[in-house]
Amino acid sequence: MDAHDRFAASSALSLMLAVIATSETPLLLLSGDLEVVAVSRSFCVAFGLDSAAVQGRSVLEMGEGEWNLPQLGSLLAATASGATEVRAYELDFRQPNRDVRHLVLNAHRLDYDDKDRVRLLLAVADVTTARANEKLKDDLIRDKAVLLREVQHRIANSLQIIASVLLQSARRVQSEETRGHLKDAHSRVMSIASVQRQLAQSAEGDVLLQPYLTQLCASLGASMIEDPTRLSIQVAVDDCLVDSEKSISLGLIVTELVINALKHAFPDGRDGKITVRYHARGPNWTLSVSDNGVGMSADVNVAKPGLGTSIVEALASQLEAEVRLGNAAPGTTVEIVHKRLAVVHDAPAQAV
Amino acid sequence: MSDVKAAVLVVEDEALIRMAAVDLIEGAGYEAVEASNADEAIRILELRTDIRVVFTDVDMPGTMDGLKLAHFVRDRWPPIRIVVASGMQILAESQLPPGSRFFRKPYDDNSIISALSELLDAAS
Repeated sequence: MDAHDRFAASSALSLMLAVIATSETPLLLLSGDLEVVAVSRSFCVAFGLDSAAVQGRSVLEMGEGEWNLPQLGSLLAATASGATEVRAYELDFRQPNRDVRHLVLNAHRLDYDDKDRVRLLLAVADVTTARANEKLKDDLIRDKAVLLREVQHRIANSLQIIASVLLQSARRVQSEETRGHLKDAHSRVMSIASVQRQLAQSAEGDVLLQPYLTQLCASLGASMIEDPTRLSIQVAVDDCLVDSEKSISLGLIVTELVINALKHAFPDGRDGKITVRYHARGPNWTLSVSDNGVGMSADVNVAKPGLGTSIVEALASQLEAEVRLGNAAPGTTVEIVHKRLAVVHDAPAQAV
Repeated sequence: MSDVKAAVLVVEDEALIRMAAVDLIEGAGYEAVEASNADEAIRILELRTDIRVVFTDVDMPGTMDGLKLAHFVRDRWPPIRIVVASGMQILAESQLPPGSRFFRKPYDDNSIISALSELLDAAS
């Protein structure tokens, strides 16, 4: 080896030692028989060691014996022999007068020019705080999920009380008209319960409209249609997500319009079906409920609008939508149309 | 079928829901018997041999919830049919004894009545 080579070698060694000494990750460079060749300042600070005192000693003899861990010795010896590597080996590290720390060890036998002098690089990460934070986060997430389930459970129970009392009253009153009103009120409560159920299944607070309206109509049918072979409710709804507030309004509108159709469109045991549609295009959407019943007779038109009509109008205006009544010939169609003027140049939204 | 009305045991800790359930069941032509928790339900089942269906809530105070009650009834009185109602979404029918029916709260009264009549018809 000439002078130049010796200088280059000593320069490389000094660079390597400087790199290890300044490493932010606690690092140890070990010989094949596990003696400390170099140690990072971060390692000494983290484990209360003196750099000069550990160099030249076995890694297992560092400090007051806290590193004398049989599993560490055998893992490092196996790494030195080339049999294995230490990858993310976790251990609980106990040091006098300190809390137990959770360490993650990685050790590799270095691949370099000098085949005769084995060198191992041992990196030690203290993940105690990170693990504690993760656990805290997991616990919080679990607590939140438990609370949410509890709240949903209580809402369901409260809605059950309201629904039960309304139907019990409906069974007991003498007046047919009052009974009708109580049953309508029950349907409105069940409509809100349907949205609650869908919300309980969604994480984001958005509701999938298709299953929601399908379930809502099934529930309306179950409580209001006496002969399902005669009357049916069909749902043809785009696959879309709407926020919970809008979904509650849409559900209540559907509830009112379906109740109305069931009451007026099919007198005298007439057969028929009711179709609920929702179609969205960009910010524009149309909700419609149509039936193939008798259609609107003149006296229904002039009759004093009922609570259902007022509910539909109030909710439509809250949704910035317009209520359009149409003759479906046969039957009646009610459309709730929401249109943003900004996209008026686009093809108009149409109910499918 | 005999002329005696089939008896349904309603197990529900919430008084108003229990009252309305009793009213619903009597309105459908069955005899309704009330219990406000699982322990009371078991005492009643030990005394009466004419209960055909147990209609129970899940979340109730006492030593057993409605799920445990359902399994207990299935083991001890196998002929008794079970209908379970709960506001909890996690409950799947697979957690219930085979042959029992589950309804999410708030349930629809008509669905409960048709389940009762199916279970009683199947059992008779």
